[in-house]
This record gives sequence, structure tokens and C-alpha cells, in this order.
Amino acid sequence: MFPFLIRRFFQSIPTLLLASVLIFFVISLAPGDFLTPARLNPGISEQQLANLSATFGLDKPAYVQYFYWMKNLLHGDFGLSFQYTQPVLPVIWPRIVNSVYLVLLNLVFFYAIAIPIGVYGAVRQNSFGDKAVNVVLYFLLGFPSFFLFLIVIYLILNVRNATGWDIPLGGMTSGNYDQLSSSGQFWDVLKHLLIPALVLAVTDAASLTRVIRGLMLEVMRSDYIRTARAKGVSERSAIWKHTFRNAILPIVAGIGGLLPAAISGAGFVEVVYAYPGITPMLLTAITAQDLYLIAGFTVISTILLIIGNALSDILLAVVDPRIKVG
Amino acid sequence: MKKALFLALAMTATTSMAAPFVYPAAWTAEQNTANKRGGEFRNSTISDFKTINPFTSAESPSLPTQMSDGTGLFTQDPRTNEFIPDMADGPAVVSNNNKRFVVKIRPGMKFSDGQAITADDWITTWKIHTDDKVGSNTYDNFFLNDKPIVIKKINDMTLQFDFPAQSSKALVLMSYTPWPDHIFGKAYKAGGAEAIKKMWGVGTNPSEIVSPGAWTMESYKAGERAVLKANKFFGEWNKDSKGNALPYLDKYSYRITGDVNAALAAYLAGQIDTFAPRNADDLAQIKKAIDAGNLKAYLKANVSPQAQSSWIVFNWNKSADTAKQTLFRDVRFRRAMSHIANRDAMIKLALGGLGTETYFSTYPIFKSQLDAGQKAGAPQYKYDLAQATKLLAQIGYKKKNADGYLVDAKGKVLEFNLATNSGNTTREQLGQIFKDEAKKVGVKVNFTPIDFNTLVGQLTAKGENRPFDAILLGLNGGDNVWSFGQNVVPCGTNLHSYNNPTDGKCLTSQEQLMTKLYYQGDAELNTAKRLAIGGTLMKTEGELQAVIYLVGNSFHVTFNERVGGEFPANLMDAYYGTRSNPLTFIK
Repeated sequence: MFPFLIRRFFQSIPTLLLASVLIFFVISLAPGDFLTPARLNPGISEQQLANLSATFGLDKPAYVQYFYWMKNLLHGDFGLSFQYTQPVLPVIWPRIVNSVYLVLLNLVFFYAIAIPIGVYGAVRQNSFGDKAVNVVLYFLLGFPSFFLFLIVIYLILNVRNATGWDIPLGGMTSGNYDQLSSSGQFWDVLKHLLIPALVLAVTDAASLTRVIRGLMLEVMRSDYIRTARAKGVSERSAIWKHTFRNAILPIVAGIGGLLPAAISGAGFVEVVYAYPGITPMLLTAITAQDLYLIAGFTVISTILLIIGNALSDILLAVVDPRIKVG
Repeated sequence: MKKALFLALAMTATTSMAAPFVYPAAWTAEQNTANKRGGEFRNSTISDFKTINPFTSAESPSLPTQMSDGTGLFTQDPRTNEFIPDMADGPAVVSNNNKRFVVKIRPGMKFSDGQAITADDWITTWKIHTDDKVGSNTYDNFFLNDKPIVIKKINDMTLQFDFPAQSSKALVLMSYTPWPDHIFGKAYKAGGAEAIKKMWGVGTNPSEIVSPGAWTMESYKAGERAVLKANKFFGEWNKDSKGNALPYLDKYSYRITGDVNAALAAYLAGQIDTFAPRNADDLAQIKKAIDAGNLKAYLKANVSPQAQSSWIVFNWNKSADTAKQTLFRDVRFRRAMSHIANRDAMIKLALGGLGTETYFSTYPIFKSQLDAGQKAGAPQYKYDLAQATKLLAQIGYKKKNADGYLVDAKGKVLEFNLATNSGNTTREQLGQIFKDEAKKVGVKVNFTPIDFNTLVGQLTAKGENRPFDAILLGLNGGDNVWSFGQNVVPCGTNLHSYNNPTDGKCLTSQEQLMTKLYYQGDAELNTAKRLAIGGTLMKTEGELQAVIYLVGNSFHVTFNERVGGEFPANLMDAYYGTRSNPLTFIK
């Protein structure tokens, strides 16, 4: 195990270097820079634009900017965000934490919906229930989640108007959050998270449902399941203990990808729901060409992806006795 | 000891005798007769606040700007547009050919931490804003044509401003917000610009933030909500007409919605108190909610034009394509293009019927300047396809080819490329309408929306061969004292976008005249005379038609009925807004 991790660590260095070069120069290739909107301001003189360019280091060529950034990165300094004029890490950290809450709750719902439906689809293959669920899930899968969410917000507004219930319309906390007790605060956040997490989980569930259904069907037809059934194990045990455990191996292999996904936020739903996650911040940063904020966040995602892949390999060795790391 | 005691007594005496700034009763349509106090005004904003630092902030709305509500040596009275003393104890004493202003500071003013506001605060603030390593957004406000404005402390309560030239904007430029010397001055002496830049990020503990204005920070939740609380010392020197301390409210908060539709939903649900309707759709939704009894709100459409413009500019610097360069430099061609712009259709189709036709760089909201322009005989080349056809024939485009496009004697089609920024649906519609109308007279317009940054790069490029034919874009910003852009009108400036050669020289006599008139008007202190100079400038600008102005949006007002204290309807507009926050209260 230890040699495996050491080897992985050294392999990741060139990967990260190459990724950092790509990240930095792809962002730099975009037309204009952080000061472009300022150039359209009738009140900002050329002298001032030159001052700002020098202040942000934008007057230097891209490769020089890259080497400065890299040098700082080696000291754990991700640079300054242009917009916030603050170090990148403390700026993005609270937003990442918010996104993690939403993504984790979404994952709980996601697996809670996809696994039972996938297993049901395999066990009751081509039944009316199987087909009906598939139709609904496929329909939702083809819907852009942010658009579906706009419809959900419209429905919530109507329900609010009709009933007077205080269903959250967006955000992560209510206006009186600071005055609530700890349990009240917990419930307040959960209340705000429930709807976006659920809507996201339902729209995304179709893909995993199909995968589980397919894998289950494949395993159910194998000899050892037939043997197990012949030995007289209960149907429940045959499905969950023998079939499901073997069927989810490919899914376990993909779990490592959840690590960067967890900090990457829930996408446009965060924007539509006015949720203070990382997505709205990143979108603003991209529009504003806040170079170091985007680059810093992308580097962190890349590191997490590398760690996640290593974790996947270890997990796979744990659940599948045929595989060994080392 | 004796001396200290005497000083303390003297200071107490001056504080208690100091006259407060009294907010005129006429600034509100709804007097707070019962002196209702407390409560929260809930506003919203689209994107996360980036900083609380007044020296590095470059956004709008911004926390430092909101906190500094009710500050500045002078403030503009929305009834008359005149400047009245606010943090100043009286009018400035003017000498040295209107270039020196000596201002006494109103005694008894305090920051939110209880420290007295003195001349040092103005001096330190000026020093930090003008340090080019800080990168302050208001750096330019302390210079006139690249020459510095010099500020001197005469004593603790007196300031002297020396301007390098006479300026009509002197009172505007002097009215910057003083930030605490005991916080920023100390940091600046110790660590210079770098130390200043690191201060007051959004992660700073709100208790460390000190404000001279009506509000100070209470809490900030990243990406969610910023809550400001009333500065309890503000009420000592700011009173309503009955002598009650201001502001009435306890809190002023911003909910960060991330998206305008989310803000509208929150407004319709009664979760925020105000919203800026963009178009007829927004207005219809709000009206529907009011009619259904789900929302009790004030709603008024078309309150005033917005302080913004949209225009098409043709590039005069195309040395690689002399035929086009000659065409774009021909005033008859540009006037024909103005005749092609169907502004009425643009308002109806692109702005949902809610907008104003524009013909000048002056925004329609600055009515007195527009009136002066019309008095000076500033021309308007209105929608008239027949007139456009006639002008194009004069240039030599008399025949049409098989496709219906005008051709010159050599058979070359009259065509040009027009770009705008992609994603701006209104501008895309304006461009499309222009293109369709141009087709009617036989002009081929290749209209393409492109990336915003690329577009701005093209527009602000310098040289003899700049990389565009025509661009459709807009500008906003400016004030109603002298409403012409310092980076737009004079030759060689950044946004003099029709003619921007390497040496920055004017090409036409009209440009020279406009440049001269710009500086002349900027220096004229007499309002009537200044408006007249502006009128002449508008006449020259209109005749030259270097930029074809199209249409402007309208400003609409809506707010929840739970809040009172808004301006009387005749004072509301896009420039002054809807209300004075210190006079706002919860009914």
C-alpha cells in the first residue's frame, strides 16, 4: 500500500505541472483581460488604466505571469483574486463548503433514488413499473436542470401565494438565521437545501439507474447466483448480498470522481436558486477574467481528482478480492 | 491638566452647539410624523460583494458606497441640482480665480467607532486614493487633465483645495467620503499601498469596520447576505426636519441573488423590498402579483429615462481599406445611417415600448442640457428612408444590383460589418432592426454579435488601421453638472472611438471645436452659461454625426408598501433614485 501511494505521488507531479500550464494559458488565451470593462468607463483615464495594469501584473507577458504564479504556488500561495483583492483560498473556501453541503445531500438522495429503482428494474425487468419509471426519468434527464428549476421556483411561488407556507425560494439561510438556536439554524439550512438537492437528484438519477439495472441483470444471470439460489438462499439475500455487491464494483471505481465533483458545486442550479455555492462565483470570475481565482480553483480540483483516483483504486481493492494495490 | 480640562470643556461645548445637517422635509413624500424607528430595508444585488475596502472597491452597488450614505462635504439637492453643504459647515470660500476653495468642516461629526471626523481623514483618504500602487477606482477624481488637485489641512476643522484649473465639477470632486485616518493612516504609514490593499476584505470581522456614513457593517455571509446596521453616531449630526436623529431604520441589508430572475421571484414573494424592473415582462409580473393581492407594492413605469446610451460608431481609421475609410469619413453617409435607424421600432420591439429616442451623447435624463441643445439648434437626423436614399445617391450610390443592394459606379456593393457584444439581447435586437431597415434602402449590413472583450479591444484600439467597420455598444456613467465624457469628447482619449490615430490628433474642425468646448464647459461655473456651451457642443456633435445615437431604456420604480419615506414622485429619476435612505422608515 505505502509504495503504491509513493509511486502515485511522484506520478502526479508531471500531471499537475502540465495541468497548471494548460489551465493558465487557456485562461490567458481568452480575449481581453480583467480590466476590459474598465476601458469602457468614460471616467477612467489611460493613466489610471496603466496604473491598474501594473498593480495586477497584467502589463507583463503571460509566461512571466505564469512563472510568478508557479513560484508562489510552490509556497502554497494561490495568488490574489483581482476582484476581491484578497488571497484566493480564503475567498473560495466558504463557497466550497456551501457547495459540499448541497452536493452531499444531493448524493444521498441520488443514491437513495437510483439504487432501489435500478435494482427494481432488474428484478422486475420490463414490467409496467419498470417502464413507467424509466419514461419519467428519461424525460427528466433530457431537461436542463436549471430550466426545470425555474419551473420549480414558479411552482413554489404559486404554492406560497395559495397557502401562505414559507417555502424557501433560494439562498441557504433565512433572514433571521443569526437569531436562531443551533438546532434552528441546522433545520433552516436543511430546509433551504432540500428542494435543490432533491430536484437535482431526480433529474440525474436516470443515468445511474440504467447502469445499475444493466449490471444487476448481468450478474443475476451468472452461475454463482444460480448456485446460490439452488442452495436455497432467500430471494432478498440473492439480490442484495450476492448480486448487488458484485454489480456495484464499476460504480465503486467511479467514486473517486466524487471528490472534485463535491467541491465543483451543483452547477447552474446554484445560480438559479441564488445558492451561495462555488458555481455563481466561478461564473462571475470567468466573466470578469479573474485569472488567479479560476486557476487556483482549477488546480485544487485537479489535485482532488488525482487523490480521488488513488482512493478509487484502494476502494476497489477493498471490495474486490481479485484486485491488489502495490 | 487645566489645559486638558479646558480643551475637553471647549470640545463638549462645540459638540453640543454644532448645527446638524437637516434633511429637508421636501425630500420625502411621506413624512415620518410618528417618528417610527427600527426595522430593516431589504435590498438585493446580483453578484457577491467583493470587498469592504473603499480604496480598492470597483463594483456597483458596493458596501463602502452604501456605508458612506450621507457623507461628502456637499450633496446635490434633487429639487434644484444645486450643491448644499453636508459635511461642510457652510459654503466654500472661493478665491484665486475660482481655483482655491477653503471649506470649514461641520463640527461634532463622528465615525461609527465614536472618533471625531477631522481634516486629517480627508487628507489621508486623498493620499491613499492618489497612490497609483493602490489602484483606486476614484484615482482620476483627484486630477484635472492629468494635473493634481492639491488638498491642504489648514487646521483640524478646515481644508483648502487648490485646483490646477477652474472646474465646474469642483464641488463634485471635493465631495468624496473621508475614511478614518486612525485606521487607514496608521496602516498606510506602516505598510504603504500593499498594506492598504489587504485591508477590509469580505472576510474581515464586521466589528473592525469603521464608517463615517449612515451605515456600518453588521454581518456578511459569503454569497448570501450583507447586513448593514445604522451608525449610532450619524444621528448626532443628521436630523430630520423635526429634529429627530437619522437614519430611522436599524438595518439595511442586501440579499445576493446571483440572478435577476431570482431577485424578481424574491420580490414577488415579499422577501425583498425593492426591485429594478428591466422591461415590460417584469412590470407585468409585478402588476399581476399586486392585482391578485399577493403583493402590496408601489409600481410606476417610465419614471424617467435611464442614464445610459446606445449607439453605432463608424471607424475612420482604415488605412488598409481606403474606400471604406473615405465612406465612413463622409458626413453624408453617417447622416444617412442616422436616417436609417428606426428608433421608434427599436423602442417598440427591443425595449417593449418603454424607452426614449436619442440623438446626442447627452442622456435624455439630463433634460436641462437637452433643452439647451435644442435651443442651440442641434440637429436630429430622424428616421427617414427617402432622405437616406437621397444622401447615399449624392455619394454615388444610385443603382441597385440584382440582389437589391446599392452599388457604386464600379459595381461595388455598399456594405459594412457591424458588431455588438453577444449575449446582450437588447443590443442584438437593435442591430437586427438596423440591418433590416438598411436592407430597405439597399445597404448591406453584415451584423455579427461577438465576444464582449474582443469588441472592447477593437473599439479602444489606437492606430491608422483599426480592426473594425462599425460597432453597436452603449455607455453609462457621468453626472448632471457637465454631462459630457472626459474620455469621449476630446480627441486622443480612450473612447473617442470614431477617430483614434496613433498621434491622437483631431481630423476635422468639428472635433477641434468639440474638444475646445468640452474644456470650456468643464471650467464654466455659471450653470446657464455652461448649459449654453453644452448646447453648442451638442449642435457640433449632431452635425458631425460621428456617433449615431439610437435609444435609451426607461427607469421604472417599484417597492414594497411596508416601507415609507420615498421621494415625491416628481423627484424620482434614474439619476437621484427613489429615496434618501436615511429618511426611509418601516410603516
